[in-house]
Amino acid sequence: MNHCVPDFEFDDDHSIPTSSVLNRPRKSAMAEEDVMELLWQNGPVVLHNQNQRSLKKSQPSFPADQSAPREIPSSHHHQQEQQDHLFMQEDEMASWLHYPLNDTNFDSDFCTDLLYPAPCITSTTTTTATATATPPVRATRVRDSRPQLNTATTVASAPPLRPPIPPPPRRTENFGLFARHMPREVASGPSNSKSVTIRESTVVDSSDTPAPGPDSRASEAMRSMEGASGVNNNNRCRNTSGAGAAATSSGGGGGSSGARDLTMCEMTVTSSPGGSSASAEPPAQKPAAEDRKRKGRETDDEYHSEDVELESADAKKQSRGSTSAKRSRAAEVHNLSERRRRDRINEKMRALQELIPRCNKSDKASMLDEAIEYLKALQLQVQMMSVGCGVVPMMFPGVQQYMPNMGMGIGMGMGMGMGMDMGMSRPMMPFPNVLAGSAMPTPAAAAHLGPRFPMPPFHMPPVPGPDPSRVQAANHSDPMFNSFGMQNPNQARASNFVDPYQQYLALHRMQLPLQQNQSMVQPNASKPSTSKGAENRENPENHPSV
Amino acid sequence: MSSRRSRQAAGVSRISDDQIIELVAKLRQLLPEIRDRRPQKVSASKVLQETCNYIRSLHREVDDLSERLSQLLSTIDADSPEAAIIRSLIM
Repeated sequence: MNHCVPDFEFDDDHSIPTSSVLNRPRKSAMAEEDVMELLWQNGPVVLHNQNQRSLKKSQPSFPADQSAPREIPSSHHHQQEQQDHLFMQEDEMASWLHYPLNDTNFDSDFCTDLLYPAPCITSTTTTTATATATPPVRATRVRDSRPQLNTATTVASAPPLRPPIPPPPRRTENFGLFARHMPREVASGPSNSKSVTIRESTVVDSSDTPAPGPDSRASEAMRSMEGASGVNNNNRCRNTSGAGAAATSSGGGGGSSGARDLTMCEMTVTSSPGGSSASAEPPAQKPAAEDRKRKGRETDDEYHSEDVELESADAKKQSRGSTSAKRSRAAEVHNLSERRRRDRINEKMRALQELIPRCNKSDKASMLDEAIEYLKALQLQVQMMSVGCGVVPMMFPGVQQYMPNMGMGIGMGMGMGMGMDMGMSRPMMPFPNVLAGSAMPTPAAAAHLGPRFPMPPFHMPPVPGPDPSRVQAANHSDPMFNSFGMQNPNQARASNFVDPYQQYLALHRMQLPLQQNQSMVQPNASKPSTSKGAENRENPENHPSV
Repeated sequence: MSSRRSRQAAGVSRISDDQIIELVAKLRQLLPEIRDRRPQKVSASKVLQETCNYIRSLHREVDDLSERLSQLLSTIDADSPEAAIIRSLIM
């Protein structure tokens, strides 16, 4: 299906009417959809099945933002529909991070634009958009990252752009945005602006792939398209924004759709020359505030919009005056880049969310928390497994001495892991039990084996070094060994390990009084059963050099 | 400018942003490659990307290790404690 794909060179003037079909080289690599072709026409990527070629409506005004070849961070389904789908991404995390703008690689990060079926969006848009018929939905560069999310919304955004309102071509558009922001914020709630956005996005993701995410880049696309038109866009945006706002408030439940619409409206608004910057929809007060205060004209256009906006800014410039135009233009650029950054981050957040199992958090902070926990658990698991792999071949009588130490250490780690990831924890519980049951020369062995123990690079945070950990392990296990018989320790140990945090704390505590531990270890060594004691004595000689 | 705006924007969002920044920092510490050259890149996007990549690589590693462990399991008698250990590791 891909014929002559001019690789994502979306130069502005590059129009590829027939060979617009642009396969997504990157995307295909990861994406599953073979049918989808990304048509990259002048920037907006039109994704469709080779039939609709002609989407090229969008004027070459915006350079195909680098995004085209963006690899999709996560596998999503790309909606490949007819071309005229504007993909709008809602910038829910407008105030994502207060990092300095890192416009490092907008290009690389941007996902290829996907065209989403306009019809899908239209449905949503109808709800919101009063806009009648906007210019053809050009495939705006939709961020790939949100394949699940976008599409629909983006498309929707396109249609709403329609109604050109005669109002002043100035930045009054922002006014419309303000109105939009208000309801949005109210709906989302004060502190949930972000969460709302995220929630919406997540909802969208989960709900349906084609469901356009809150981030509808469609607006952007539209903006870009509209940008050319200039004032008219503003007007349109205003209307749409109003509609969007209404929709949002009403469709609170519809959440995503509403947000989408908003985004769309916003996008359209933004497209309007410089005026409407409020692209970010629910994103949070920050974007709203920014829009409001920062610059009337700032438009949170993303990739395309930036181009479009710039152009519109130029137009504005002429009309308004050099200084103000410059300022507005700078602000626009800044806004654009900021928005892009945010979008990129959002994309990645979504990708991360997909990777984390059983992550149903819509809030960014909690999601990051879970990501951190999961990452730690994964690291732990990998460590333990590698230890197991290394130890198993040596699991012969001579090796048993190692086991308790490792078991203790591992048990602790596993305890932690258990807390974090229940999936991993349960099966691992028997581990320390088995180890303890099989060999109990822990204390003495620990002391002896300290120097020679090939402790794997346990990254367990509290473990400062092999000796202390072993000592701790020995200490930890000592009470169990001493107080229980061969069988009991299994259960006792299990119970001890059940609480990862207690283990963790215990481990920490044990770390401190290393000296005491060591002294304690020696006397305890004598306590273990004589059989094991004998083993201990033998072990040092037996243990294989590792 | 942006700070001003954000300040005006909302106290809540700022708090969340701080949380997010902190979380990203934590995440950064977990990532091996970024840990060393931390000062350079503090881009959230990069951190998130690296996290995704790292998680994927960890998944692969876990699969690989599971494979190895199951192979090991087949080589030893199933009743030994080692087998039990391996089984527990493989989950």
